Amino acid sequence: MDIIVCLKQVPNTAKVKMNQDGTLLRAGVPSILNPCDHFALAKALEIKKKTGAKVKVLSMGPSQAAEVLRLALALGADEAYLLCDKAFAGSDTWATAYALSRAVKKIAPFNLILCGQMAIDGDTAQTGPEIAGQLNIPQITFCTDIELKQKDTLLATKLIEGGHQILEVSLPVLITLTTPHNFALPYPNFKAIFEAQQKPLFTWTPNDIEADVSKLGISGSPTRVVKIYPPAPKQKGQVLTLSAEETAAKIVKILQEHKVVK
Amino acid sequence: MQKIDALSRKLMAESLRHYAKENLPFDTLRQYDGENYFPPQKVKEIYKDLGINLLLIPQEYGGLASSTSDIYRVCQELGRIDLGIATAIFATFLGSDPINVGGTEEQKKYWFTKMARENLLVAYGATEADAGSDLVALKTRAEQIIKDGKITHYKINGSKMWISNGEIADLYTILALTPGGPSWFLVPKDTPGFTQLKHEDKHGIRLANTAGLCFENVIVPAENLIGLKEGQGFLQAQAVFGYTRLMVGALALGAGQEAIENAIVYANNRVQAASPLSHKQGYMHKLIVPHYIKFEAARAFIDKTAKILDINNHGQATEGAIAKYYASRAANSAADDAIEAFGGFGYTKDFPVEKIKRDVKITCIYEGTSEIMEMTIYRGRWQEHLKTRGNFYLDMAREMENIKETDLGAKALALGLKALSEVLEECRLNRLTRHQYITFELGRLIANAEVAFALVKQAKSGQVVEGCPFNINIIKTMARVNAKNVSLDIALAGAKLVNSALEIPSEKDFYITEITKESVGLVKDMDALSIVLRDMFRN
Ligand SMILES: Cc1cc2nc3c(=O)[nH]c(=O)nc-3n(C[C@H](O)[C@H](O)[C@H](O)COP(=O)(O)OP(=O)(O)OC[C@H]3O[C@@H](n4cnc5c(N)ncnc54)[C@H](O)[C@@H]3O)c2cc1C
Repeated sequence: MDIIVCLKQVPNTAKVKMNQDGTLLRAGVPSILNPCDHFALAKALEIKKKTGAKVKVLSMGPSQAAEVLRLALALGADEAYLLCDKAFAGSDTWATAYALSRAVKKIAPFNLILCGQMAIDGDTAQTGPEIAGQLNIPQITFCTDIELKQKDTLLATKLIEGGHQILEVSLPVLITLTTPHNFALPYPNFKAIFEAQQKPLFTWTPNDIEADVSKLGISGSPTRVVKIYPPAPKQKGQVLTLSAEETAAKIVKILQEHKVVK
Repeated sequence: MQKIDALSRKLMAESLRHYAKENLPFDTLRQYDGENYFPPQKVKEIYKDLGINLLLIPQEYGGLASSTSDIYRVCQELGRIDLGIATAIFATFLGSDPINVGGTEEQKKYWFTKMARENLLVAYGATEADAGSDLVALKTRAEQIIKDGKITHYKINGSKMWISNGEIADLYTILALTPGGPSWFLVPKDTPGFTQLKHEDKHGIRLANTAGLCFENVIVPAENLIGLKEGQGFLQAQAVFGYTRLMVGALALGAGQEAIENAIVYANNRVQAASPLSHKQGYMHKLIVPHYIKFEAARAFIDKTAKILDINNHGQATEGAIAKYYASRAANSAADDAIEAFGGFGYTKDFPVEKIKRDVKITCIYEGTSEIMEMTIYRGRWQEHLKTRGNFYLDMAREMENIKETDLGAKALALGLKALSEVLEECRLNRLTRHQYITFELGRLIANAEVAFALVKQAKSGQVVEGCPFNINIIKTMARVNAKNVSLDIALAGAKLVNSALEIPSEKDFYITEITKESVGLVKDMDALSIVLRDMFRN
């Protein structure tokens, strides 16, 4: 069993402020492993514990992103790969998914690819599904749990409106995961951190993954960001504290005033 | 042998932070603080879960053989969590130091393997009721027991006071007088005749167990004499003073940062007179900004000294004293102002600043009081001043003068260092160092000068040090402000100091006029730092 987990280093948005133009003010903001990715990694390592699966982690980013890979190695991943080159810089989700899927093919074999549902800095939730698309393998998104059923089938618990859906899927598959409430993300002990220094961490350029450079970076990205802006703050609502009948009558009146009902 | 790298240090600090967030939230700490008790098994859990105790243990015996830089980063993070728990852990480090420094290979193998496997809590027992700052007054004795002409055992009699982990340790490293002089002994907890007293009801670090120890005909095998040679005790202790004091500096730095960051978050949310307190200039420039500047200066100095100790392991006694003295005082005044910054809320136990204020005082006392540090710093540098015929600080001044960048405060500090040299020289010519008071104050001025020097050099390097939360431009501003403040203080306090012990005023002016002019622009820089700090520490 071979699992590949895609990881992204993101600014800790809990501590981020916005610039006037709506972009993130990143100066001095500590970077963290994207929480959903952290959860995906934790799930992969659970499977490793039960089955002895090999867990490989993959990230694209500046050299500093090696930090999250080292964290993953310390937590128990076996090998790490960092796509790091000027050519990758500025990639949108499509170009990123292209690069990551090229890397996945290079790292292969794999039975399972795990991604976080979305990164807290972009909130697009596109990269995981796009990797599956580019690799032409099935995908299940928005999962809060996965469990290996047999050697080549997996049960995925998918979060849906008002509940969960349990899906059985045959491998290979790509799953995107979202952290359930109250899940304590694991952190490594000092010895594991030290030992991770010795584990393999490879840095790859487009050449190493045989990627078409024209499909990478800004030029390879179809997305054009026209404008980023914070949504206008919601106006304060009106709270009615009348009796039930009076409240109902008042609501009807307001709706009529706004021409929602006649 | 593999070393712990910078990234691992960062990950260790993060793991520690998350561990504390999960297991030791403020409400929990507050409760233990009230009870004056922290279960020893919780300290062991920290050892077991994180492996923090492995840091000081050599790799061949199951440890991580960390460097000074590694321990410093961990101590700084521990200081942020709780100085009591930090002290329990630090005492384990201290207790294993004599073995590291002076133990035989066989002793290291036996004790370190045991410490690593069993997560032993260790205590370091030097202080006695009549031997605190003055350890030479040591009274605890270890008599030789001789059989067939060979020393087979030692019999220990006496008592110790103020020993961290005193009641709860598994293993004690005890300083006692042998016929050959002071020596360290390893004494396991259950040794007959060895009793531990009830732990103290302290002002702060109430999660740390502190207790007296009694030895009544306690017999330990001769193999428990560290290094198997009598009379090495003081040498073994002194060899690591630079390092251990640096660590207390790191503990203080962590606690001080925690206090001020709490205060900034509070000031961002607390609205008085129509705007958040963090938008009020007087408030920020008085209660917040100066402290963070000192923390960064302390960090630059500690980092620099740690890097030297990473290579040499021993020595740096004056630097260790400077680090401890400077950081512990900076942290204490920061914690005091953090309470002020919270107003009435700060005076209650509902917010961490009240506890930090009580806890952090210990960093000015243990491992040598601030006065002993002033003495140590003065002695170390006075020798240098004499040896170099007054050039010690003049050389540093020249180094500052050679810095081309005009935005680092180098020019101001060059003047300050020249002033310091002049103060020392006046003291020498007028034999003023016969006044203990003057030597103490010299220790203070020296510490401030050297720490300011380290910060300007860091700013000059263009690279912030590990663990620094700011970018280099902010460090430059801080270096500039600090250099100006310190230089002015040296000139003014130095002038007062010299004249105060003279009958006729000194003819020297200690560069006061020139240094005063360097203060230009301070308020603007403080304004900029104020905005950086309030934006950085929100929610
Ligand atoms: C909570 C706590 C934990 C501790 N943990 C440990 C431990 O684990 N192991 C251990 O061995 N010790 C430990 N100590 C002891 C600590 O190191 C001593 O308390 C410290 O060194 C000061 O000694 P003292 O208390 O005897 O004070 P004193 O030496 O009596 O000092 C009292 C005051 O006099 C000043 N003073 C002392 N000598 C002079 C002088 N020559 N000239 C001018 N002023 C002077 C001091 O600066 C101080 O202000 C601990 C203490 C505390 C409070």
